[in-house]
This record gives sequence, C-alpha cells and structure tokens, in this order.
Amino acid sequence: MSKIKTLITAATTVALLAGSATFAMAEGITVAIVGGKTDDAFFAKVKKGIDDAALVVAAHGGKVNYLQLQTYDNIGGDAANLVRTAITQKANVIAVPNWVPDSEDEAIKAAQAAGIPVILFNAGGGDKAKELGALNYIGNEEYTAGVAGGERFTTAKAKNVLCVNTVPGAQNLEDRCKGISDGITKGGGKSTQLPLPASSFGNPTAVAEAIKATLLKDATIDGLVAISAADADAVAVGVEQASMTGKVQLGSFDMNDTCLERIKAGTQLFAIDQQPWLQGFLAVTMADAYVNYGLKLATAPILTGPGVVDSSNIDATLAGAKAGYR
Amino acid sequence: MTNQAARFSLGNLLRRPETGSFLGLVFVVAFFTFFGGTNFASATGAASWLNVAASIGIVALPIGLLMIAGELDISIGSLIPAGSMTVAIISGHFHFPIAVGIVAALCVGALVGLINGVLVVRTAVPSFIVTLGTLFAVAGLVLGLSVVLTGTTSVALKAGPEAKFFLGHFIGGIYQVLIFWWIGISILFAFVLHFTRFGNWIFAMGGDKVSARNAGIPTDRMTILLFMISGVCATFVGVAQAILYNSAQVSAGQSYIFNAIISVVVGGVLLTGGYGSVFGIVLGTLTFAVVNQGIYFTSFDANWASLIIGVMLLLAVLMNNTFRTLALSYASKKK
Repeated sequence: MSKIKTLITAATTVALLAGSATFAMAEGITVAIVGGKTDDAFFAKVKKGIDDAALVVAAHGGKVNYLQLQTYDNIGGDAANLVRTAITQKANVIAVPNWVPDSEDEAIKAAQAAGIPVILFNAGGGDKAKELGALNYIGNEEYTAGVAGGERFTTAKAKNVLCVNTVPGAQNLEDRCKGISDGITKGGGKSTQLPLPASSFGNPTAVAEAIKATLLKDATIDGLVAISAADADAVAVGVEQASMTGKVQLGSFDMNDTCLERIKAGTQLFAIDQQPWLQGFLAVTMADAYVNYGLKLATAPILTGPGVVDSSNIDATLAGAKAGYR
Repeated sequence: MTNQAARFSLGNLLRRPETGSFLGLVFVVAFFTFFGGTNFASATGAASWLNVAASIGIVALPIGLLMIAGELDISIGSLIPAGSMTVAIISGHFHFPIAVGIVAALCVGALVGLINGVLVVRTAVPSFIVTLGTLFAVAGLVLGLSVVLTGTTSVALKAGPEAKFFLGHFIGGIYQVLIFWWIGISILFAFVLHFTRFGNWIFAMGGDKVSARNAGIPTDRMTILLFMISGVCATFVGVAQAILYNSAQVSAGQSYIFNAIISVVVGGVLLTGGYGSVFGIVLGTLTFAVVNQGIYFTSFDANWASLIIGVMLLLAVLMNNTFRTLALSYASKKK
C-alpha cells in the first residue's frame, strides 16, 4: 500500500508543478523556421547558418525555433503541419521551404491570415513567393540551375543523362531535373528522370544498387546527376560497381567533402552549389529585421545559386568546405 | 457482510489496465507544459498533437486488436500510401469521381487484408513474416504502378468540397476533421471489444488460440476479419491524408509502423497478446503524439529531439509496467 501512496504523491507533485508553471514570456520575437533533419548533410549547413543568425536574433532579444522534419516520406504534408504548429506557437514570423505547393500553400495562407508574415527559402522560387505574398524567396532558381548543369554536360559531350530523384514530388527537385533535360536538349542530347521512392533518400545502398542495375541495363547512359550530395556519393559507388567510372560523367546538386574531392580528382564533373549556409543565415536575419524594424530588401528573389563548382574553381571552394560553411 | 465490491476504492481504480497509460500521459503532458510554456498547453497547441494522434490512432486501433488476438500487422506501412496513391491516381490523375477513388482505395485495403489473413490462417508462418512480405510486395506494386500509370511517384489530387468537408479539412483552421473520425472509430472498437462476444473471442484467441478454437470460437474467420479491418483502416488514413494535403506520395507511411506499435504498447497491450483495452490504446496514442510534437514547443535544440523522444517513451512504458505488476500482484487484506 505504501508503494501506491508513494506513486500517488509523486504523480500529484508533478501535476502540481505543471499546473503552477508560469513563465515570463520572452520579450522579443520568435522566428519559426521549418527545415529538414540536421543529420542530412545539406540541412546541417542550413542549420549552421541559422545558428549563426540566431546570435543576431538573440542580440535583438528574440529567439529562433527550428522545426525539423523527421523523415522525407511525406515532405509536403509534414511541412504543412509544421507551419500550423508554428502558428499555434504564436511565432512572429515563419520561414519555410515550399517543396510541395499543393500541400503547403494552404498552410502558408493560413499563417498569413493569422497575421504572421512568411518568408520562403530553399524551395519555391521567386514567382511563388510573389503569388503568395511572401516577404521574399531566398535560394536557388532550380530550373536555371538545372539548365546550367545540362549545358555543362553538353560541354563534356554527354548525350544521355539520367537525373536521379530520391525525393520525387518536391517541386524544387522536379524543376532541377526538368532544367537538366531542357539544358541538354539544347545541345542535342537527351535526359530522363529516374524517380526513386523517398525512403531511399540518404540510404546509400538502395541508391547505389538502383544505379548499378540501371547502368548495366542501358549501356547508352553516359551522364548521371544526383539531387543531393549524399546521393552523389551513392551514385558514384553504383557507377564504380558497374565498372563504368570514366565512361559515365557524374554531376551533383549541392556538395560535400567527398564530392569536392572527386571533382579535384577528376571523377566528378561538377557540383551545383546553392550555398545552404547563406540560405539559413539570410532567411533568419531578414525575417528578424522585418518583424523588429520593418526592414525589407527591394531585391526579390534573392538568389544564392546556381554556382557551378568544377575543376576550374575547386581550390577556393575546398577552403570554405573545410570550415563547414560550404 | 463486506461491501468491498460496491465501495469506490482508489486502489481498485489504480489497478485498472488503463491507469498506467493515463499516468504516463499526465507525466508527458506535465513535462512538456513545464518546458514548453503556455503555448503547448493551450487549445491551439493541443491541435498539433491531436492531429498527429488522429491518423496514428485510426491505424493503431485495429493493430491493437490484432496484437490482443496474438497477431501482428506491419503491412499498414505500405497500405497507407497505397490508399493515398489509389485515390490520387484514380480521381486526381484520371479524373474519375472522388467516390470511385475512395471506394477503390478501401477495396485495396480489404483485399490485402484478406490476403494477409488467409496466408496467416492457411500456413504456419507467423503473422509478422506474412505481413512483412505483403509490406514489401505492396510497396513495390504501388511504386511500379505509379511510375507506369503516371510517370512519377507523387500525384496531386484536387478533391471537391464534399470530400474535403468529410475527410480533409481543418476545423477552425487548426483541427483536422480526422479527429472526429478517430473518436467515432474508437467508440465503435471499444464497444465491440468490451461489450460484445466478439471482444471476448479476441481476448480468448490472444490467450491461447488452440483452446479458443476448441471452445468453438471461429478463430480463422475472426483472424481474417481482423486483418481486413486493419487493411481498410490503413487505406482510409491514406485517403484522408491525400485529400487533406492535396497530394499523395509513394512512400508516406513507413514511420506509421513503429509509431502505431509504440502507441499500442504504451497503451498497455501486451506484445504476447491476451491483454489490453481500447481506452488504453487511445491513451497510448495520445502519449506518443504529445511526445512527438511537444518537442517543437520547447526551447531544446532540435538536434536532441530524437534522444528526448526515446527517453520519454521508455519512461512512459516503465510506468505502465509498474502499474500492471502492481495490479497483477495485488492481494486484498484479509479481514
């Protein structure tokens, strides 16, 4: 009986503590920013930008709340849910990537209807930001980036390029593959998309095996482009396993250390950089500046890419990468 | 004459199977209210975890019943996106009426459930392995058919106002209408499990299937029926998600497998079967949803989110177990 009494006492104490918990609400603003899981190399750099910008926000008396997706399985729905969570948290401003406009536009409009300004970053594009009445768009113009990549493939004389998409349905990634296709068609080549289910994003074995199988089946493929740096590593492994290194050119969107080393060694043709640190940093500082002081840039959209990293500018890039900023 | 049975006793209340889950829920709510402030504890803050609880809850209820009956169904991880993709392809891509798409999606769930049930009953293979096989088979089928029929693995769906009203809109802009479906389905399941003979049969099957069959319970038919219900509920959640978010993804269901099983186990259902309650499953689902979403309201760095989720769930289950042990080892004082 005494055991039960102890448990009841403990439970009541906890309940009382919770009931009496009163908090002085933060005097400053709350910036809510939605993004991917930080164990994803790309969003780790975005988060670094956010953390650096959080210093500025804290200096103004506010705080930053990073709402991260737990998987990419249902990217549009989960992002829409996180926007609604930010609304219930009474955030003063929301920064969100618009990956799946069909799913996220309603949530973004609900935030604006609740009086919360929204800024788009990483995905969405300048036109979408104007259409929704968002503060701005900070990121890549994915289609233009894709076209730049396609033209790079043409220069390297690749004729049949496969665009490996591991998060199909995300508008920004679909635009990349479309850009590659249009860029290379201008030069007389062709490109098709290989959609893999989102559960294979970040699963190197799944991607490598799928690539190996595709290469062995179709010998005319002489170019591959991956939509993320981690996938590029897996694609490189797949190419090696199919014994096609050197015959198949590799390109990637976004980059990490191994991509840069491959470019230096000549086994990767290019990486298209959208400067994720800048995306995170600018999104938060601009959101903070707008809500606190009404400051707004006249330039819209703010393009952080595309920058093409290849053998011509690899050394300068490597220095920044070592510091974790690129 | 002693009136122990009639007298209200705190001890008796504490020994009910749901008490552990209830106190677990109180604990996590207290924890996140403490660290999350008034935003978490407000009515609008509750929407975050109620919305998550509704979709996991509808799937967790038949899984809980299956676990009480001694079986396991993990094919729901592929049936949820199968439901989404079916309604999206039929009504979004091919522009058939939405009712056709919804019925087709539910039929897919019933069919796969039937296959699961028949395979479990006819072969000696454990249900975990059978449903693991159908998990992969359905996933491959959905991916393959999606690429063949539409050329991509994500399909948009613009549902009409009636479908949106019943299945996929936000009440007051924040509460998903699915929450009411979840409450209704929970009441239905509670009635069946605790107030009809079918419920008795389910408990009996979980206790010992051979004895149950010898006692005259139609275990084969019950098993197949339970698997079919699980399939239909999973595809129903998929349909609701597709209508709510206006798009369907091929892979949007893998996390539900573990989340539903965690909710069921936290709710007091034994993994070995024969013990549990619907109210407990509901409480377990709420506990999981609170832990899953509460982290966003605290000022903890998002990097620690997974660690906190794991620790909280372990604590909730431990509390559950303590209460169950207390209940099972209680001996009333002799007068």
